[in-house]
Amino acid sequence: MMKSLKTFTPLAWRNLWRNARRTSITLIVVSVGLWSVLFFNSFMNAWVQSSKDAALDLLLGSGQIHAVGYMDDPNIEALMPPPSAALTAALDDTRITDWTTRIALPGVVVSEYKTLPVTVMGVNPEAEARISSLPGKLVEGRYLDDTDDDGVVLGLHMVERLKTGIGRRVILMSQGIDGAMAERSFDVVGVFDADQATEDFFAFTGLKASQAFLGLDDQIAEIVVVLPDEADVDAEFTRLREAAPDLDARTWKELNLFLASTDSFMGAFIYIWLGVVFSLMAIGIVNTQLMAVFERTQEFGLLRALGMKPRLVLLLVTLESAMLIGAGVLIGAAISALTIWSLQGGIDLSAYALAVEMAQGGNIIYMEYDPGSFVLFSVLIWILGIGVALWPARRASKASPVEAMRYAS
Amino acid sequence: MTATLSRRNVMLTLGAATMLAVLAPVPAAAQDARAILKSAFDNWRARSSHATVEMVVKRPGATRTMTLESWTEGEDNALVRFTAPARDAGNATLQLGSTTYVFNPKLNQVIKLPASAMTQSWMGSDFSYDDLSRSEKVVDDYTHTLIATKSAGGRKLYVIESIPKRGKPIVWGKQVLTVREDGVLYSVEYFDQLGKRVRVMTSDRISNLGGRPYPVVMTMKSDDKPGQYTRVTTKAAEFDISIPAYLFTRSNLQNPRD
Repeated sequence: MMKSLKTFTPLAWRNLWRNARRTSITLIVVSVGLWSVLFFNSFMNAWVQSSKDAALDLLLGSGQIHAVGYMDDPNIEALMPPPSAALTAALDDTRITDWTTRIALPGVVVSEYKTLPVTVMGVNPEAEARISSLPGKLVEGRYLDDTDDDGVVLGLHMVERLKTGIGRRVILMSQGIDGAMAERSFDVVGVFDADQATEDFFAFTGLKASQAFLGLDDQIAEIVVVLPDEADVDAEFTRLREAAPDLDARTWKELNLFLASTDSFMGAFIYIWLGVVFSLMAIGIVNTQLMAVFERTQEFGLLRALGMKPRLVLLLVTLESAMLIGAGVLIGAAISALTIWSLQGGIDLSAYALAVEMAQGGNIIYMEYDPGSFVLFSVLIWILGIGVALWPARRASKASPVEAMRYAS
Repeated sequence: MTATLSRRNVMLTLGAATMLAVLAPVPAAAQDARAILKSAFDNWRARSSHATVEMVVKRPGATRTMTLESWTEGEDNALVRFTAPARDAGNATLQLGSTTYVFNPKLNQVIKLPASAMTQSWMGSDFSYDDLSRSEKVVDDYTHTLIATKSAGGRKLYVIESIPKRGKPIVWGKQVLTVREDGVLYSVEYFDQLGKRVRVMTSDRISNLGGRPYPVVMTMKSDDKPGQYTRVTTKAAEFDISIPAYLFTRSNLQNPRD
């Protein structure tokens, strides 16, 4: 067997180039197919990663802790006291990068011209600057100074709709702890520019200022937790749940189902794409290889007549396919690597900013080499390719000298 | 030389000021702006009142005319019930203190208005629910300055600039209210915080009604909606009457007793 392989390898290689044009076409089919799989895989992973990072960095964090019932109906009755000693200890663990507490309650914002629904966010500005990208998105004015800061930071689109601006008053209203409507005027101190949904949804003020406004002592609505490595999120949240069994701790996957399902769908989607691409590739491979086998009926007949066993004919043709597809896979992987390398500065989608906003993505997508998926998809396509090429090979092994003579001219 | 001149100027100015203070008519100086406003609102609403009012809402391409009946008592209680046209008849608004209830006969439901809805339009007019219930809050929530006196139709008008007190939940930059010397509210102008006028309410006709001078025709206009307005004409009114207590109840809102 090894001996025949040694004999056949140069033979098969030379056979491939007897019809250089046909071989090249198959090479192109395989390499472009693999390129598309590898490139899309990398692009989609980068896209999902970027939109996930954008959402997690904005306000979500790796996960949040609420009072039971808050997620179903966020209202002032569903708040919780500041973290207990046990929970604080669990949160201050080195396995957690950072955490902070917030007030987040539905309300309305009123200007001279308009009344709009809003979520009143009471935040700790110092901690937000560390864990949220939002303070960095200010386009006008300033972010909040401290938890007592009773200024309000609004989204750009919200400010436009309210026809208000920096230095002017708006009124925030929300249900107070006494059940009556709490209302208070706040000066607009800053304007942020994020995606439109965020701009229209939130009004930020100091945590203590918001508690005073609503008549609260030190109750909070949520604890935001940021982890260094997102892979640990489930383990870490199990630990937090143990530290605070009477609270509702959820990871970002449970908080933002859209994001989580996008994440898992993209992983499945690449295999769907692989299936589509491979079907097309298989048609190309089978077609050209069958063609080649038919053309070489005489040759195979002669080999058989000289005493070559059908098994060895099968081996020869399979070896040819393996080399052909292998070369195509190598070229495809090389082109993919080259493409990703040439785009390593990031793909700037800011020209399509509005569309990207809708898809909850980041503006710049950074693709990365993922050696694991490079090897996986290359080998997968190579093996599947050889698999379908077995059909023409089997066909060749069945060639009989008698049939070959009939074709002789 | 310059120093001498300027000192002389100062002397002159002081002298003139003193002269003015002495010669100025007593009311303008003595009457403080807040008192003027207070009396205007007291006069407008009285201790209690019962009125029949026609409301015209002018919109591009359509003009609606509605008739309503209103009862008020003190500053807290008010009931407004629409009587015509048939489409709007039966709709009613009840104000008890700072709470406002709305009754819709088609739904046969009383709805307590959330505070967020208070700034919304009342029955499609240029008035908001807040205008119904809070117009008098201006007296306490603002700081008032008499900025001018004018005269119109032989009567003196006091022009009062009212600026919201710090921290009060008020969106307006200021209001400028004009009150006629006999205590009739002549006009109210609402300004945004940049000093741009947003809307204005004017008294178009003042005549004797129920034994007192009263702004019989009032118009509310928004400056950014030219050609649109809401005009309220009081057809008949009686003041300082006794009103049965059941009138200002939720059950009466839903099932009016006649």
